[in-house]
Amino acid sequence: MNYRTLAYSLLVLTGACSGLISAQEQPAPAATLTISGDLPRPLTLRDDDLAKMSRQTVSVTDSDGSNVEYEGVLLRDILKQAGAPFGKDLRGKALASYVLAKAKDGYAVVFTLGELDAAFGNEPVLIADKRDGKLLFGYQGPLRLVCPNDKAGARSVRMLETLEFVKLQK
Amino acid sequence: MRRLLATLAFIAVPPALAADWSWNLAKGFPVPPVPSDNPMSAAKAELGRYLFYDTRMSLNGKEACATCHQQSLAFTDGRAVAVGATGQSHSRSAMSLVNIAYAGALTWSNPQLKKLEDQALVPMYGDHPVELGLRDGDGFLARLRSDATYGALFQRAFPADADGFTVANVTKALASFERTIISARSPYDRYHYYRDDNAVSESAKRGEVLFFNQHIGCFRCHSGFNFSDATVNERNAGRPIEFHNTGLYNLPGLLSYPAPNVGIYEFTKAPADVGKFKTPTLRNIALTAPYMHDGSVPTLDAVLDHYSAGGRGHANPNKDSLIAGFTLSSQDRADLIAFLNTLTDQALIHDPAFSNPFSHRQIDARHDP
Repeated sequence: MNYRTLAYSLLVLTGACSGLISAQEQPAPAATLTISGDLPRPLTLRDDDLAKMSRQTVSVTDSDGSNVEYEGVLLRDILKQAGAPFGKDLRGKALASYVLAKAKDGYAVVFTLGELDAAFGNEPVLIADKRDGKLLFGYQGPLRLVCPNDKAGARSVRMLETLEFVKLQK
Repeated sequence: MRRLLATLAFIAVPPALAADWSWNLAKGFPVPPVPSDNPMSAAKAELGRYLFYDTRMSLNGKEACATCHQQSLAFTDGRAVAVGATGQSHSRSAMSLVNIAYAGALTWSNPQLKKLEDQALVPMYGDHPVELGLRDGDGFLARLRSDATYGALFQRAFPADADGFTVANVTKALASFERTIISARSPYDRYHYYRDDNAVSESAKRGEVLFFNQHIGCFRCHSGFNFSDATVNERNAGRPIEFHNTGLYNLPGLLSYPAPNVGIYEFTKAPADVGKFKTPTLRNIALTAPYMHDGSVPTLDAVLDHYSAGGRGHANPNKDSLIAGFTLSSQDRADLIAFLNTLTDQALIHDPAFSNPFSHRQIDARHDP
């Protein structure tokens, strides 16, 4: 442990004990996404892993009519990294597969591989960690889904924690 | 400042061209709908402010809109049910006027009353119950006309009218003032929209996450920037509004809620609509006790008791399926209440633009019955 790490640990510890540390000095909760299920390479991605992947932005209209930009990694790219079948592999029984996206509070929604694959639905569903360039926080973050082509918002899961891949026909 | 702007507009441009309104909205707040026959103007809003606080607008010369809609209480009156100029009690609690410009329905349980200009006539002339107690031909307009201040205010507000002193113009001005009462400067706004992490406590931040938790589900009805699903903006102004039965009562028989407060059933006559009321905004909710349409829940703590139990009258057949009950630890409860307290907008309740313009004509605090 170098001095900087030690000093930082002490700062956090002191803050936790005294309650005097300000919110801005506290580290943001680390983003962790677990990708599990019927996959060749189940993964756990942290925020620094997501930062290294191919980053995309999508623009959506906010409630006040203004455009907001969410930044992150395509759900499709994360599933590909875990070995989910896309492209030429997405045929036959593989098309009977889905991913269950679950939030910290137990809320969960489903996406099929067909709607995500570029040759089928080509939906740019994003796992976002930033909104207008700033890390997601509070009840939205640290990770959320953004489904820019959905008319309703209910699949844009907040507080996203896990992706569970299910192959219905093996 | 608004008064100054109104004055400047009057001096600087011909009155007919005084389209001087700018909403200047905060982050997250869409443009509210405004009827095409009553476009916003600073002069109308200023006239409306005078009328809102003017006790000459009542039967007994002691009441005004502001009697039941007090700025210090986020434009409520602190009572379980409102009391009119004759001492008659209303059957329901005075609703907050905060962010009323965004309300897709204006009252607790009338799905048809959607325009503030129409609604103003209810407290002015209504009989069931008597609120301000005005009567046709009782001369309140003459009383206003005799005050030179109003000559200038009406002329600026309605420059195209030969005689601006009409009931229709009074309601247009009142509605314009009410639409300006926008609450967007709470600690929560600073935290959520302006990303000031120090604006709210850690307890409130945990409370926000609980509020938006799927199992507790407060956000399902208290949704969006205004924390109410009865909220509209200029782009979706005509959309249907949902009303909800929260299981507050469960009396035997068709009318499971105590009359006359039977919800939108009063208008629709559909049995499934008994007990359905509008979702009020939660902005400034800590200032607007007691709670619910009839003021029957005294504190925010008691509100959490009601919802965590799945409704006080939990077996009501019309109860919304979202009111399913939940468990809160004492810390969760404290966190949720800390979050609700961050919706209190001190700038709103101290803003001179919404305050009583009459230094000599104070609104009497209502005598207790």
